[in-house]
Amino acid sequence: MTPRPDLLPGTLDMLILRTLQRDALHGWAISERIQEISQDVLEINQGSLYPALHRLEHRGWIEAEWAVSELGRRAKYYRLTAAGRRQLAVETREWERMSNAIGRVMKHA
Amino acid sequence: MITFRDLTLRLRALLSPRQVEHDLHDELSFHIERETRKLIEQGMPPHQARATAQARFGSPTVVADECRDERGIAFVDNTVRDVRFALRSFRRAPLTAFTIVTTVAVGLGVVAVLFTILNRFLFRADSVPDISEMYGVERPRLANGDQSPFTRPAFDALRRETSVFTDVYANVGDIDLRVDGRMMAATLVTGNFFSVVRINPVMGRALAPADDESGGSQVIVLSDKGWSRHFTRDPNVLGRTVLVGGTPFEIVGVMPAGFRGLEVSAPDFWAPLAQLAQFLPVHRGREDSAGVGIIGRLKPGLSMEGARAQIAAWDSNRESATTGGLPRASGSESRDRAETIVLVPKRGTLPQPMEAVAIFTPLFFAFGLILLIGCANVANLLLARGVARQREIGIRLSLGASRRRIIRQLMTESGLLALAAAGGGYLISRLALGSIVYFATRTMPVDFGDSNLDIAVPAADWRVALFLVIAAMAATAFFALMPALQATRVEPVRTLRGELVKNARPGRARNVLIGIQVFASALLLIASAIFLRSAMASSQFDPGFRTVDTMIIQVVNEPKRAAMVQAIASEPTVTTYAAVRPGMLAWPDAGFAAVGASRTAVLYKFVSPEYFEVFDIPIVRGRSFTTAERDGEHPVVIVSESTARKLWPNGNGVGETFRLEPNPGSDADAKDEPPMPARLVTVIGVSREVAGFRILDTKEAGIFLPISVNAPKTAVVARVKGDPALAHRTLVDRLTRVDPNMGMIATMRTVVRLETFFLQIAFWVSLVLGSLALLLTVSGLFSVLSYLVAQRTREIGVRMALGASSQKVTRLILAQTTRPVAFGLLAGVGLAASLATILIALPAGAMIAEVVRVTDPIAYVASLLVIVAACLLAAWIPATRAARLDPMQTLRQE
Repeated sequence: MTPRPDLLPGTLDMLILRTLQRDALHGWAISERIQEISQDVLEINQGSLYPALHRLEHRGWIEAEWAVSELGRRAKYYRLTAAGRRQLAVETREWERMSNAIGRVMKHA
Repeated sequence: MITFRDLTLRLRALLSPRQVEHDLHDELSFHIERETRKLIEQGMPPHQARATAQARFGSPTVVADECRDERGIAFVDNTVRDVRFALRSFRRAPLTAFTIVTTVAVGLGVVAVLFTILNRFLFRADSVPDISEMYGVERPRLANGDQSPFTRPAFDALRRETSVFTDVYANVGDIDLRVDGRMMAATLVTGNFFSVVRINPVMGRALAPADDESGGSQVIVLSDKGWSRHFTRDPNVLGRTVLVGGTPFEIVGVMPAGFRGLEVSAPDFWAPLAQLAQFLPVHRGREDSAGVGIIGRLKPGLSMEGARAQIAAWDSNRESATTGGLPRASGSESRDRAETIVLVPKRGTLPQPMEAVAIFTPLFFAFGLILLIGCANVANLLLARGVARQREIGIRLSLGASRRRIIRQLMTESGLLALAAAGGGYLISRLALGSIVYFATRTMPVDFGDSNLDIAVPAADWRVALFLVIAAMAATAFFALMPALQATRVEPVRTLRGELVKNARPGRARNVLIGIQVFASALLLIASAIFLRSAMASSQFDPGFRTVDTMIIQVVNEPKRAAMVQAIASEPTVTTYAAVRPGMLAWPDAGFAAVGASRTAVLYKFVSPEYFEVFDIPIVRGRSFTTAERDGEHPVVIVSESTARKLWPNGNGVGETFRLEPNPGSDADAKDEPPMPARLVTVIGVSREVAGFRILDTKEAGIFLPISVNAPKTAVVARVKGDPALAHRTLVDRLTRVDPNMGMIATMRTVVRLETFFLQIAFWVSLVLGSLALLLTVSGLFSVLSYLVAQRTREIGVRMALGASSQKVTRLILAQTTRPVAFGLLAGVGLAASLATILIALPAGAMIAEVVRVTDPIAYVASLLVIVAACLLAAWIPATRAARLDPMQTLRQE
């Protein structure tokens, strides 16, 4: 219920974009994928995923489409747009710059 | 950042909210179901799996809310909710909403009436292309208000020698004359007028420069107003001729509606300036010295100041170079050159808006009082309701609504009320304007309606709409929002416990509001009582001479006098006629009567012997003039009773002689004739006193000298038989055939009725305002007292249980209002009386005070009694209700 403090603010958008880089996924699959790949370190608050998805959709970085899911009922699948790809590149670069900087400080300071 | 996708998504959310909500629900519930499936697959029992999945997800309602916020339509969404909520709360208390809307609408309606009229004169620019380029060239007003005008030659020179205007025209406006027997307003313009203003005719052609050359064509171009007023929009009007000064003029064109020729009110037609002598015979032979107005279209890109400087330079060069032109007032040479020319923007509105504002300000004040009273009512109502709503607001606050959210909700409510009130105000103002114009034209004296007053219902435009909405918003925001803000300043816990916040019982504010209301209604009612009493007095006023079937006929063209008098004499409806100089509506000449050594100031005029018969003025002593006396310069006079008493306190006057000397210091120099030489005269008769008119600033003479009916510069007065209005029409018909340009002809009845007419209009306007004010005050007082009684039920019950009599309780409730009502009455009377005193002290006010009895005590007392009675009535019902309370029952309720 409480927002988890371990996820840096603003990183959720980036994680979602990265997850959608290869194929279209619905909301639950996105949260599963993030959790799975991070080996359960990044357990995102499931509910808070959806406002983020809607925000990204409004910014035009992802687009949604309804399709039949593995459960046999319809689900909303999100896919990265061209603008989303550009945004992902920007955010990845920023993130690398940032984590390098933090890493250097942690190592040498 | 707003992208195309963003917009389409928002649009979808707005247009099909149901679908979007449905999708959102599906999406979130899918997630929970998928998570449940996963947990079941991991071996969890189904019911536990579902609970765990729901716990991991959190509240779907909150998530859905956050998603909606991300969609960015929360604003619209909330507004829709607020509007719905507001409508629901109106439905719950429909009477309150209705009262607020109608109260504010009535106040707005009366103010909008005034604004619509003002709008017409101040803001409605003429429909001329690029009107901002139009400027009038004028010399500044001198201290005495005179303005030295330009002449036609000066205009021609200006057009030739300066280059500040694309083009410039000259005009002579406001010419009222009889054309084909009807009064029409004409404006004479140079031939290029229509090309300067860039207006094309809807029919026929415009005036062309060739029309305006000397000996040019006798043509006129109708305005839309003239076309509909005088030719009933006849499509075959082109080619028809009308007689102006005996000369036929051909109608060659009709101009579009909405074009007023840069005047406040459009003339009936335009004619070439070269025809000036036909329209104003005074200028015949000296057309070049007649004053003309000059209006030009400034060259684009030229500043007004630059243009003004160029023209000023040209004007002073020309003045020093030529000896011609108009003589200028002495001292003009020493005047700063910069001040010799002014450029006045011409927009077809009042040239001096400040003067109009000065006239309209007191009116806006009077009309605004109604709005003020209405708003005070609303504020009082909401203050009372605010206490009731504290509970509702407290509950919402404790349920987690933010204060901002609640204020927005309350603002939405007052905004809706404001819009409804603005709509109602618009309807009321249209209705009021329509009926005002209807009744004014219905009751207007007949020949008065013949003049050029424009009495159509003024149109409302977007400015009126804007004014209404802004005023409604301001009124409701100020008077509805304040109590609302007050209401949100509550502490939820205490409110729920039923305690009221201390300062939410603003008894003082309530008393001040009642005081203001009573004050305003007192002011308005006193005004209406004064006008009513004055109108009654003036309708019963006896001017001392016959007015029912007499009329005055001006003779303006001396060469036509004999023919005119002949026509009057041979007209069968005319029973008697007489000549009088100066005319009936002008001041008699001033002079001195010297009896022995004492000189007394007197007024005298020349009348033919029939004068006394026409007006039914009896000769009480002595005899009237004989026919022989009227033709020769016989040294005989008739004096009025009061003059006889003044000159010979002991004698009866007849047979006395005195010396009549004209007063050279009086306005004799205004008439271009030598003053009458002093003469020794004998009194042959004494006539009964004549009071004279009151609305006109004239007095009847005290001394009458004989004159012939054919004498120059006299006006004709006549007694007619049958219907005077019919006789008036017959005479107009007949006399315009003799002289198409003849002057004014009016029945005496009209002149007398004009006075009553204006007083009646003032009475009705102030009566309507006054009764509205009283009605609003009484209803406000009633609701406030009812509320107070309801609120103090418990206290009253205790008092009665402790032995207070029902009389005492009644007195307690009445005492609540005594102070504010008394204060309001005193303030109202005080202000009315001091305004009256100031008015009487003013030189212009003294004359008004003669007709309008501003200090009439009966008017004051009567209106005060009405207010006190109304307030008592309003207070009586709640007071008796309080007195009838059963103390046991009241206490048991607690």
